[in-house]
Amino acid sequence: MRNEEEEKLRQEIGDLLASGLKTQTEPFPETQVEFAQLLSDVRKLDQHDLKGKLVLSGFTDKPYGPDQMRCLECMYYLVHRKWCDLPELDLPVEPDWYCRLWRI
Amino acid sequence: MANLLWLQGGACSGNTMSFLNAEEPSACDLVTDFGINVLWHPSLGVELGDNLQKILRDCISGAIPLDIFVFEGTVVNAPNGTGQWNRFAARPMKEWVRELSDVAQYVVAIGDCATWGGIPATAPNPSDSQGLQFLKRNHGGALGKEFRSKAGLPVINIPGCPAHPDWITQIVVAVATGRGAEVALDDFQRPKTFFQSFTQTGCTRNMHFAYKVSATEFGQRKGCLYYDLGCRGPMTHSPCNRILWNRQSSKTRSGMPCLGCTEPEFPFFDLAPGTVFKTQTVMGVPKDLPLGVDKKGYIALTGAAKNAAPAWAEEDIFVV
Repeated sequence: MRNEEEEKLRQEIGDLLASGLKTQTEPFPETQVEFAQLLSDVRKLDQHDLKGKLVLSGFTDKPYGPDQMRCLECMYYLVHRKWCDLPELDLPVEPDWYCRLWRI
Repeated sequence: MANLLWLQGGACSGNTMSFLNAEEPSACDLVTDFGINVLWHPSLGVELGDNLQKILRDCISGAIPLDIFVFEGTVVNAPNGTGQWNRFAARPMKEWVRELSDVAQYVVAIGDCATWGGIPATAPNPSDSQGLQFLKRNHGGALGKEFRSKAGLPVINIPGCPAHPDWITQIVVAVATGRGAEVALDDFQRPKTFFQSFTQTGCTRNMHFAYKVSATEFGQRKGCLYYDLGCRGPMTHSPCNRILWNRQSSKTRSGMPCLGCTEPEFPFFDLAPGTVFKTQTVMGVPKDLPLGVDKKGYIALTGAAKNAAPAWAEEDIFVV
């Protein structure tokens, strides 16, 4: 899946978020243990359950929190592909989006 | 001719296996080219029972001059400080260690267990293990902080799990050929020639480190292992990417994170579940930042690096 398909999926995600999809932005997994638990929960979802992934990982279509955290600075973000490279998500994203699996 | 005696305490023999794989110089070169006389070694020595005890006692009495005493493994003190859990040649190994160290020109600790206690000394440390002159970061260990061998040096620590074979043989050759005084040691008594630089020095993933592109699975050829997979390369002193393993690779080059095995704290976080092969974070920021980098600088650098990252940094550039 590259380019057009990725763009289409990115658009779909953007539309879902813009339409007010309620996602679990809190609590932020402060420690590695909490992070691992959240990852484990995401892993249990059906691979094609897009909405489930977005909800559980707390996606937003804008920077989040007092530090304005966003995909652009996240370790899993591939700048040129505009892609979240975290294997559990593996989704096209925008640089100004955010999710609570954010790491720097 | 320099007499070398090698004993093992609480050990897995990993450093012996490593030593026997040495290439530059090899274990055989030590004998044939550098005049090292191996008095006894657990895997090479032929003497047993009384004959072995005689060698050890002759070393202690001075009948055999002991030039280099190499120790692998921890000094076991359990139970109750007696050391009876690790008996060797009819007495606790810790007693041999003490007496042989007192008469040796040089004492060399090989591997994490002998240097700082390593895995056996990890909490709750049931064998009450110590390194020769350290217990983790605490100076002292089995021989005490003030210990100096006859040549006037503290224990020379060659850590690693295991130590690289060439670190071992090169230091042994240096002391055997009278260049012991030239071996500069760091605060943890490691030879600076090996342990001044970082594991990251020479890592083929440095460009991915610089552009903040993360590897997310073992064996991936793109991406840096520090950000997600718990690599300790930027904080660990070792030449693993300068003096390659088997002369051709290293853990990080092959896609496995450095575990920081040359540092006194190894194994980190007392091996608590979820701490191995996973970068520990607090609020999404790594708990252990590259040495000398503060959190503010790290965050600023990340933003700049991500913005500047070229497209190729996101691709697998090592094509076979």
